[in-house]
Formats: sequence, structure tokens, C-alpha cells
Amino acid sequence: MSLTIEPGDFVSVIGNNGAGKSTLLNTIAGTLTADAGDLTLAGHSVTKKSVAYRAKWLSRVFQDPKMGTAGELSVAQNLTLAQRHTHSMSLHLYRNAKQEAAYQDLLRPLQMGLEDRLTTQVKYLSGGQRQALSLLMATLSHPELLLLDEHTAALDPQTSAKVMELTQKIVETNHLTTMMITHKMSDALTYGNRLVMVQDGQVKLDVRGAEKQNLRQDELMALFAE
Amino acid sequence: MLITSIGQGLLWAPLVIGVFITFRILDIPDLTTEGSFPLGAAVTVSAMLSGQSAVTASLLGFLAGCVAGWVTGILDTKLHMPSLLAGILTMTGLYSVNMHIMGKSNVPLLSQKVLTNYLPATWSVDLQTIVVGALVTGVVVAVLIWLFKTRLGLSLMATGNNAAMSSANGIYTDRMVIIGYMVSNGCIALSGALIAQSNGYADIGMGIGTIVIGLASVLVGEIFLRGRQIWLRLSAMVLGAIIYRYLLTVAMGLGFPVDDLKILSAGILVIVICLPIIRNKYRTRQQLKRYLKQLGADEHEAEPISSLKRQASPEGLLSRDTK
Repeated sequence: MSLTIEPGDFVSVIGNNGAGKSTLLNTIAGTLTADAGDLTLAGHSVTKKSVAYRAKWLSRVFQDPKMGTAGELSVAQNLTLAQRHTHSMSLHLYRNAKQEAAYQDLLRPLQMGLEDRLTTQVKYLSGGQRQALSLLMATLSHPELLLLDEHTAALDPQTSAKVMELTQKIVETNHLTTMMITHKMSDALTYGNRLVMVQDGQVKLDVRGAEKQNLRQDELMALFAE
Repeated sequence: MLITSIGQGLLWAPLVIGVFITFRILDIPDLTTEGSFPLGAAVTVSAMLSGQSAVTASLLGFLAGCVAGWVTGILDTKLHMPSLLAGILTMTGLYSVNMHIMGKSNVPLLSQKVLTNYLPATWSVDLQTIVVGALVTGVVVAVLIWLFKTRLGLSLMATGNNAAMSSANGIYTDRMVIIGYMVSNGCIALSGALIAQSNGYADIGMGIGTIVIGLASVLVGEIFLRGRQIWLRLSAMVLGAIIYRYLLTVAMGLGFPVDDLKILSAGILVIVICLPIIRNKYRTRQQLKRYLKQLGADEHEAEPISSLKRQASPEGLLSRDTK
């Protein structure tokens, strides 16, 4: 498989179960290591590098809201972890009032009341709140590539729509290059400027721009059936 | 008796804090404890016998523990062994190491100046022990409170809580686990160093059962002092160590022979594991009862099902609101 994602792309990736979407995403994220081939991220070859190393350029929102946040830690602590300009092994004290005010400003636009719950342990938040926080954390350091791994699949329809809207807003304002795996045809068609269909570990369809805009759901479904 | 327990508890506190770091922060049951505790004792006593001061010797003991923790950490993270097995391997290997350091299975201190000898000789042994224990434990607690307020400490906590999320956020989790093992076993060995000086000897068998002592003390401490702040959690560990010592002293006072102390330790651990579970169940039941009573279900109290039904009916809820 060969796939190049241009800066500024918002790619939706669809495909059957077992088609290789998750394998693709995990290989990019570093959870799986490629047996052969090359992986270049923002000009750096990262084929054999660890997940933590790739985190310099890459962020990920997991499908499970519990995966993307540390439940025992507070909202503020989770946000601190996402701020990658401070080295994770530095001996600087991490708490200060200025920082907390900045976090509140970041959380307010989510409209989930999280700005008043900075010291709440994340495990007490709802799935939607956790996923929104996860999304905010992933985009906090303006990554070169944002990976969304079916990040609305575990949420109820209403929350799912809200998180999806939020995603669009954050991606747009920060001009993030994004790759989103989804099972929802409508989301794949509505969001992003490019659509990739994966089947049997191959790219079956790769459309962008106007061509993607004109794609209809029934056409897509027909391709699935083939 | 209580005074003695406080003194002994303070000497054991670094061990409990060490167990707390692996067990609670990193979520790893680390059996290296059983080897690093006598290692700290062996290194300290040997260093003192070869002319080092008690302070230097204790620090050497601490560092030896860090090395032991590093070995377990490498086995666990780089060689991908289950953490239980990694701990067992290091612990087993340390037996030989400790024998080599000591030369024989029991090495007494001769006339060397131990830490308590730096204090005025007019003070009682208990007071000396308490002062030394409080000083050392105080330093350990203070350093750890500071550590967990730094970004490194936060990374440690995150690694123990959610490793996948931590590495996705750029934390090298392997390094964090190794650092955790090192700090933990350093503290444990320091405790061994203190106990050896207090007893006046290092013994190859002194590590047996220390993991049970450590775990039991962690749980006892958490029963008496709860909280999220790190200073509170660490204080709970110190309290746990003291209460645990006191429980053992009481048991011995009741006439249990010394040989039975290990089974007592195990028994205490079983009890403190079960206690919070039973307490939670009891509390939930009490809460439910109180809640049902509030709903005015007193005449049907014996039939919780019917009162639950009533609680579900919208009328009941509304009438309560209007009150």
C-alpha cells in the first residue's frame, strides 16, 4: 500500500471490518511496526520508531474514551500531559495559576462545563466529555498529523454529532492535517476534503475535492458490495 | 508499646512508601522487595564494617536498592517479562548477591556508630529511633512530594494509570517504569539499612515476608487516611507502617510466638483486603435504607422491592419535589 497525505488534508478512511483500516492507522501511530516498507512523517523517517518518539509530530484520539485520557488524573493534569513542549522527564513543577486560567479558556468553547472541573478526576466524566477532552488534548500541541480512530463510535448519536462538529471546528481553526477512520458513511462524506476506501489491505478508492463532493452514499455502498 | 511501634514503624515507612510507588502509582506488584530489603541491610552493614560512616553506608544501601530496581525494570520493560516474574528473578538472584556481600548468612555490627548514635546518648532508645526514623522518612516523603509535583512525577502517574495514552502523548513509558522501580527499591533498601542498624545486624533471611508487610501497611494506611493529594497519600503510608507495627506488637503481647508472625502478617493482609469491600457493601446498604426511609416507605421497609417500585412511579417523585 502506498498513501501520501498532503499537509492540510482531512482524509476520511472507510472500509469493511478486516479491510486493514486499523492496521493502517496503528502502523502510522507506531502501535504496530511495519514488516517492510517506509513510513515518513513530516520529513522524518519513523518506520521503526516508538510511539512516544512519533508523538512529536503525531496525535491520536482513540475509539474508547477511556483510552485517550488518564482516569485517575484530573482534567488539568491530563491537559498538562498533552503539552508536549515540556519534556515528560523535566523536573519543573507543573501547576500554576496562570496555566489553569489558560486551560479554562481552552475548555470553555467545548461547552461541556469542563472549565469548572479542572481538578475533577477524569474517570468521573461522561464518555462524551472524556472524548472531547481527548480531542482537545490531541490538538493542543498542533500536531503535523491528527489520527482519529473511530473516535465517535462509542458515543450516543447526539454526543457523537457534537464531538464530530467539534472536531471539524478544531481541525479548521488550527489547519490540522487529519486522518479519520470511520464506519459512518455520512460522516465520511460530510467531513474532509478526501476520502480513501481500504479493502484487503489496498487502497481501493482515493477521491478528493470536487470528485469527493459529488460522491453519493449509494455509489459508495455499491463499491463496498463489490 | 505504642512508642516502640512508632519508632519501628518510622523505620519501616520507607519500605511501605517503596511498595506504594510500584503497587499504587505504577500498578505493578513488585516482588523485588524481598531481595532489595536485605540488600540494603547487607550493603550498609558491610560498608560500616569496612569503615564507612552510618550516613554514607545508608546512602550506599539506597543506591544498591536502585540498582536492584533497575535490573527488575530492564527485565520487565526491555525483555518483556511479566512484572511478577521479573521481580521473582531479581529477588532470587539477589539472595546470592547478598550472600556474597555479607560473606555469611548473619553479620553483626561491632562497635560501629549507627545513625542513632549521632543523637545524645542520654535519650532513650525509643526516642532516638523515633527521631532518626522521622528524619529519614521525613526527607523521603518531602522529596517524593516534590517529585510528584514535577512533570516527571506526573508522567510516572500517567504511565501507571494509562500506558497507551501516556506513550501517545510522548512519554517513554519504559523509562518511567524503570525509574519507578529504581525509586521504589531504593526506598525499600533504605528501610533495610535502617532496620539493620536498629537490630545491630544484617541477616540473609530478613527479607522474607517484606512484600506482605509492605502491602498490608499500604492498605492499612489507606483505610485510615484517604485522599487524592500526594502528601496525604504518603502520610497514609507512614501511618500504615506505624499501625501495622502496633498490630504486630499487640499480637506478640497476646502471646503469639515469633515464628507465627509471618502467618499473622498474611492474616492481617487478608483482613485489610476484605475490610474495605465489606465496608463498602455495608455503606451502600445503609445509604439505600436511608434513602428509602426518606421516601416515606417506612411501613414497607421490609419489602424493599415494593418501595423501589414506588420510587419509580412519577407521582411519588413529584410529590416529594413539592414538599
